[in-house]
Amino acid sequence: MQILSLSSVTKTFGGLVAVAGVSCGVDRGAVVGLIGPNGAGKTTVFNLITGSIKPDDGHIFFSGHSIRGLSPHRIVALGIARTFQTIRLFQGLSVLENVLSGCHCRMRSGLVASLLRLPGQRREERLVIERAMGELEFVGLAGLWKATAGSLAYGDQRRLEIARALATEPKLLILDEPAGGMNEQETFELRELINLIRKRDITVLLIEHDMGFVMSVCDQVLVMENGILIAQGTPQEIQNNPKVIEAYLGLDDDD
Amino acid sequence: MTQNNGHPQPAQPAQAAGQASDRADSQAGSQAANNQAANNQAGNRAQAPNGPKSSPLYGILTALGILIFAFLPMILSTLVGRSTPYWLDVVNTVGLYTILALSLNVILGHAGMFHMGHAAFFAIGAYSTAILNLTYGWSIMATMPVATLAAGFVALILAWPIIHLRGDYLLIVTIGIVEIVRIALTNNIFGLTGGSNGLVGIARPSLFGFRITSPKHFFYFIWTVVGLTILLFHWLENSRFGRARKFIKEDTVAAENMGVNTSRYKLMAFVVGAAWAGLAGTIFASRMRTISPETFVFSESVLLFTIVILGGKGSQKGVLLGSFLVIGLPEFFRGFEDKRLLVFGAALVVMMIFRPQGLLPSKQAHYKLPPGWADRLAQLPKPETNGPNGKRPPNGGAPPVAKPQNAPPEENGA
Repeated sequence: MQILSLSSVTKTFGGLVAVAGVSCGVDRGAVVGLIGPNGAGKTTVFNLITGSIKPDDGHIFFSGHSIRGLSPHRIVALGIARTFQTIRLFQGLSVLENVLSGCHCRMRSGLVASLLRLPGQRREERLVIERAMGELEFVGLAGLWKATAGSLAYGDQRRLEIARALATEPKLLILDEPAGGMNEQETFELRELINLIRKRDITVLLIEHDMGFVMSVCDQVLVMENGILIAQGTPQEIQNNPKVIEAYLGLDDDD
Repeated sequence: MTQNNGHPQPAQPAQAAGQASDRADSQAGSQAANNQAANNQAGNRAQAPNGPKSSPLYGILTALGILIFAFLPMILSTLVGRSTPYWLDVVNTVGLYTILALSLNVILGHAGMFHMGHAAFFAIGAYSTAILNLTYGWSIMATMPVATLAAGFVALILAWPIIHLRGDYLLIVTIGIVEIVRIALTNNIFGLTGGSNGLVGIARPSLFGFRITSPKHFFYFIWTVVGLTILLFHWLENSRFGRARKFIKEDTVAAENMGVNTSRYKLMAFVVGAAWAGLAGTIFASRMRTISPETFVFSESVLLFTIVILGGKGSQKGVLLGSFLVIGLPEFFRGFEDKRLLVFGAALVVMMIFRPQGLLPSKQAHYKLPPGWADRLAQLPKPETNGPNGKRPPNGGAPPVAKPQNAPPEENGA
């Protein structure tokens, strides 16, 4: 069963067609990779799914509901969480607070309860700190809960972003180049982490340039080039697809 | 009018202020406590995990400061004798501006919205109280909730269309708001505001049958409200609502993508801050007994803005200190007449160059882990144990260089 499906989604920026009629689906529980040369429109697809930008045309369905045109916070509440290509943590806040930002949409305390610190609000705070610490423990950062997010090592910041996204209790987790800038050890740990996330019954959709990583961690791979979906299939199929090989060897000069 | 002057003060409001502020985790305090805090936390924003807040000494000093402050009228009368009422009036003015600046801090400090029209909501509160009291004969305390709600409601209406504006754009619009309100008041809108003469003869507030009249009475009244404000806003700051505002201030895009309804929280911060300024308006109207449009000019808004920026955006202690410096300190230099403003301006410029984050910038929020976590964290494997700064030793960390070794993409997998 598909948790996410796009049908003929199109987005143009001025004269540039960033995404041209992309139709694809993501199976529930799968780890799906979205690959393609730089400028292929991968991140635009992510931004369309998460509501950061609105499609010009086409439909996006998540768990059977149309999410086209919803604002990002509504989409998060429905169960899609993301990380960013360039890390966008709340640099000045503590590691714990960063994760608490993810918990926000699952909390209920309003203005009055917060202003008067009502018992229900205090109970919720305790529960949510427990849960946020649980997420930190899950990604292996619990010991750094007090540190300022901006002071963390690069790989730790990436994992903190994942913990923050997991705290929104997503059904679908979208990772934009999670292994970017990571060393071999960290990439290995990330692979383990994604496998653990999968065990929590969370579907993962990721953009990644590290082909070894994509091929080893993904069940399904989608390939984009110039805003068009040129191939989809298992890693095996993708590696033998002539179109994909051409796209990569012909166009990708990798930065 | 001042028949109560020799009468010993009921200790109850002062005590309430003391207790309230105690529970606010030592946020309130006198200047003494503030100075102590300034020494402790000078420029250590990045590495605040073990801030002075947690130390018992700090708590004791703060409590002591509040206690001394509660006896300020008596201390002043032994120090300055007959000019006590004058100096109490100065302290009361500082208190009133503290309430206003704390309410602006909710908008400017926590949510990071450049709002320079705060005097407008102050005016709406003051005029609501004055009109209800003079025209309809309401008691002052009864007008207080109405003034609060009125200011909040007007803020809601005015801010709705402009809340998505950023930085300087919002600033310009809020300046427009304060001008519109001032001109509307001067033009005797609805025949209620008395035009440029304003409204005269507003009643004194009375609490549980006790009439608040002298500067001493107002001292306890105003500073109890200050204590209450600090306590409530401290709670608000350390809640889901307060955190949402911090996320918005840090990175609005990330906040929205983490599920925070950013425009709603900006609007709510605006309304709460404005409503509280309305409450301050009630106190102001009943203290002055006369209000007129000149009181609520643009420069008042700038003054409040200055207090928050000077003290430290988002830090209640900073705002408290800022009020004393901006409102109180110039009174000490009355002898220098106009030159004091020159010196004050120059001091501000120097301050902004060398300490742009404010005198007492806000610190990391303090969280208490649920029981059991201390043991769990202690059992973590070695790499997780962090140094004093919470930094992991560099051996496990990656060099922050983009894409070190994933250069050839096909070879790895194909």
